[in-house]
Amino acid sequence: MANKNNQNNNREKRGFFETIGGWCRRLFFGGANEYARESEEAKKKAATDDSEDIVSPGKQVVRKFFSRKLAVGALCVVIAMFILVIVGPMLMPKYTDSYTEVTQRSVPPGFNMMSVPSELKNDIKMIDSYGSFTVGLSNSGKVYVWGQGGISTTGLDMKDIPEEILNANIVMIAAGIDHAIAIDENGKIYGWGYNRFGQYGWSEEFESNPNIATMPLELYENGIDVSQIKKLACGNQCTAILMQDGTLYIWGNRHAYANLDSFLRGLKFKDISFTLNYVVAVPERGNGIYTGTRGLYEYARTNIGGEAVAMTDFLDGRKIESIVSTTTSICMVLDDGSVALTGDFTLDALPIPDLQEGEYFIPETIGAGTYHFSGITNLGNVYSWGRDTLNQASVPKNTDGATKLYVGAFQNYAVDDNDDLVAKWGLKGYLFGTDTYGADIFQRIINGGAMTMTVGAVAVIISSIIGIIIGCVSGYFGGKVDIALMRITEIVNAIPFLPFALILSAILSQVSMSSNMRILILMCILGVLTWTGLARLVRGQVLSSRESEYVAAAKAMGVKESRIAFKHILPNIMSVILVSLTLNFATCMLTEASFSYLGFGVPYPQPSWGNMLNGANNATVITNYWWQWVFTALFLSITTICINIVGDALRDVMDPKSNTKE
Amino acid sequence: MGKYILKRIGYMFVVLLILSFLMYLIYNLVPNNRAYTDARSEYQSQARGQNANLLDFDEIYLKYQRQYGTETNNLAIRYLRWVGVYPLYDGSYNGLLQGNFGYSYEYKKDVIEVIGAPMKNTIFINIFATILALAITIPLGIICAVKKGSKGDQAMQVVTILGYSLPTFLFAILGIWIFCSLLGIFPPSGMKTPGSNYTGWKYFIDRLYYISLPLIVMTFCSLGSMTRYVRASMIDALSMDCIRTARAKGVREKAVIYSHAWRNALIPVVTLVVGWFLGIFAGSLIFEQMFGLNGMGDLMISSLRKADFDVVMLVQMFYVIMSLLGNLIIDIVYGLVDPRVRVNK
Repeated sequence: MANKNNQNNNREKRGFFETIGGWCRRLFFGGANEYARESEEAKKKAATDDSEDIVSPGKQVVRKFFSRKLAVGALCVVIAMFILVIVGPMLMPKYTDSYTEVTQRSVPPGFNMMSVPSELKNDIKMIDSYGSFTVGLSNSGKVYVWGQGGISTTGLDMKDIPEEILNANIVMIAAGIDHAIAIDENGKIYGWGYNRFGQYGWSEEFESNPNIATMPLELYENGIDVSQIKKLACGNQCTAILMQDGTLYIWGNRHAYANLDSFLRGLKFKDISFTLNYVVAVPERGNGIYTGTRGLYEYARTNIGGEAVAMTDFLDGRKIESIVSTTTSICMVLDDGSVALTGDFTLDALPIPDLQEGEYFIPETIGAGTYHFSGITNLGNVYSWGRDTLNQASVPKNTDGATKLYVGAFQNYAVDDNDDLVAKWGLKGYLFGTDTYGADIFQRIINGGAMTMTVGAVAVIISSIIGIIIGCVSGYFGGKVDIALMRITEIVNAIPFLPFALILSAILSQVSMSSNMRILILMCILGVLTWTGLARLVRGQVLSSRESEYVAAAKAMGVKESRIAFKHILPNIMSVILVSLTLNFATCMLTEASFSYLGFGVPYPQPSWGNMLNGANNATVITNYWWQWVFTALFLSITTICINIVGDALRDVMDPKSNTKE
Repeated sequence: MGKYILKRIGYMFVVLLILSFLMYLIYNLVPNNRAYTDARSEYQSQARGQNANLLDFDEIYLKYQRQYGTETNNLAIRYLRWVGVYPLYDGSYNGLLQGNFGYSYEYKKDVIEVIGAPMKNTIFINIFATILALAITIPLGIICAVKKGSKGDQAMQVVTILGYSLPTFLFAILGIWIFCSLLGIFPPSGMKTPGSNYTGWKYFIDRLYYISLPLIVMTFCSLGSMTRYVRASMIDALSMDCIRTARAKGVREKAVIYSHAWRNALIPVVTLVVGWFLGIFAGSLIFEQMFGLNGMGDLMISSLRKADFDVVMLVQMFYVIMSLLGNLIIDIVYGLVDPRVRVNK
């Protein structure tokens, strides 16, 4: 009875780490054994409290290791990291190494990109977005901005809406990549955001700059007739206003849209839209897509993956009524009510779903994001098609009653007849933000971890194999072999590691080869230059155990020398090897990181924790884009710190001298 | 002792020879052919003025090949010529031993002129950082060893694990973030105020201002491993019999620690300091690159990127010689402090 009480008390006193340690022990050695051992231990303790029970050295090491809370915690973290980087990528089927997105560069972490302000939710007049922020307009003429409004390193925030816009009664609004345009009931045109490239406003400086197509002065000073506006559209640093009579006003950065000049000639258009690099428009005749450049959008198709047909043959007398465009493709509504596509689509793009007999898309509801289109049919069904990389084309089930649809960038908002928000879907934001290329840092961290760890592990394995063989041979055989091998070790040891490896890596990268081959060579370089420490360690251990009795006994029995070296001596020095393996693993991971950081390691599109930090080499990035290095650095350092803690604990536990200390 | 040192020096030269041959092999992997480039440019400049038919490109090429000693495919001969112990075609010697260290196409100068200023900077920064780091780590290690197991010691153990588990460039990033972005005390990069032309005392202060952040970061980076090492060897020394005897005799604790134990702990520490100093040399490569310091590492990386391999070669030689010199000093110090080494070899 007393025993049992004692045991219960022990159980209650167990700390968090001990519990985890217990779990791990049971994981490896089985629960029943563990329980039996524990109860036996308790019995023994009760019977003879002052004498220690005899256990094998291996068991003793394991027991001692698991009694260290810090080490067990670190081991758990390391195992968790391993699982994360191995299992994590499987949960991200949409991830690709080379994914870049111009409109989503350097977006800070957060999930507010789709959070419509509560005052706007039941009073939506208009929503528009092109980049990482979204502008909304209520029926009462009030402007709202949500999402990530900070514009690169300029210090501007789109959420700081100018006073005059807040006070005015706005009737129209549009968002570009770094600016937004609003028009009030009197036709006055407002703009805010970045305007270094003439995105809005008029000044002498803009006029004299050849790269800027300036906003027409009469629009700036006298405003515009609101009732005559057909469409207001913003693109990448450009703005266009199309009037009912086909007159087009367009201004902005000539570098952003190479064909901007073609639209300044006073031609009349039916509709206009912005892709990423071209302004596209429907001419009054509606017989094609006008870009001012030859060879663009000259083929059309009825659906993604369908056969591309030359535009004139495709239209066959039909006319294009209106268009909406993503960064590369255009969705056209024809005068017979059908929908057609032109431009480039990636392989993973979702096609337009098959509609029922008599079902058709309502032209006004069709909208385009960065890579996808959405629309509502006359039966009230909502569909999205195009790329679904950030879930922007995954339509939720409950879209009943939606009659209007606002689509922009990676977000969709379905609104009913009462101007209430019915559903929204698309990109909420990024957990860790995006990098300078617009890729999700969280996804790259998870996918890059495997690379960093593989390079570290393979390098350690290579260096250990060389080190163990050379150490064993040289320690066991001694004499001339020993002298020769140790001289080689010293020569390799005298090579200054970092510069030498850099040169090798740089020279080998001049030879054209695949990136996988380069990484393999990097691992070999790391392995071949780092084995000396282990070789010396093993040699010393072998030298001392060579003189021990069991080796003498084996020799007397006539066991072969190679067998003695690898079967009798090697297992006895395993503990030393294990410790140095662990510590070297962390070192090799760090070396890989340093290499990739300097740009000589894993090449760019493939992520590794080192080359993801590559951009953080100047004060601007370090200060303004803190999320681009903080999270990656955290993952890398937590992993290496934990590996080192485990290695340290292993060394202490396996060191026979430390037995007496406790 | 003299014989031992001579032996080690001789051995060092052998290793230097082997390493330089290795490096020459790697250098030969580089797809650049100086004779060909020079011959090409001469051929073209002459062809413009004269009747091109009169000129023979192969002849000019051969002339340059002979000048640079690359007309033979025998690697051993080319290597010996590069070192300067085998005559060129015309019987003269022109190699490393004669002071020909190569030509930098990037700077349009002899490499030896390019390398002077960075070398001074690197040596200055590294020696400064080493002194600073030693002044901090040694007392810290001793205190940790004496108060082994205390709260402070445990905290230091954690800090030092951080110190050697994090990549060095991360410390640089953190340093820039804290000192430049948050506090705004130090400039993030450069060697002197742009456009300034200070002399004397003002120059020194300006230089110190620019160099302090790299120095702080470099010092902090080396704290981890060094403190641990000093602590470990001090603990070993404190458990020696002579310490117990000293304490039994009633020697003051301070004298026991600083005179008896520290002297014993010094032996492994001294040998480590040299090796660690060399480690800093190679490691400063990253710092120079990050902080925009005009040093050997920065020069090497920029030359690597521009494929200016003659410069890279000489920088590499600098690192190798530094490393070998370091090893030599370690051996000599070993011999000085540990009589067994001298007897054995």
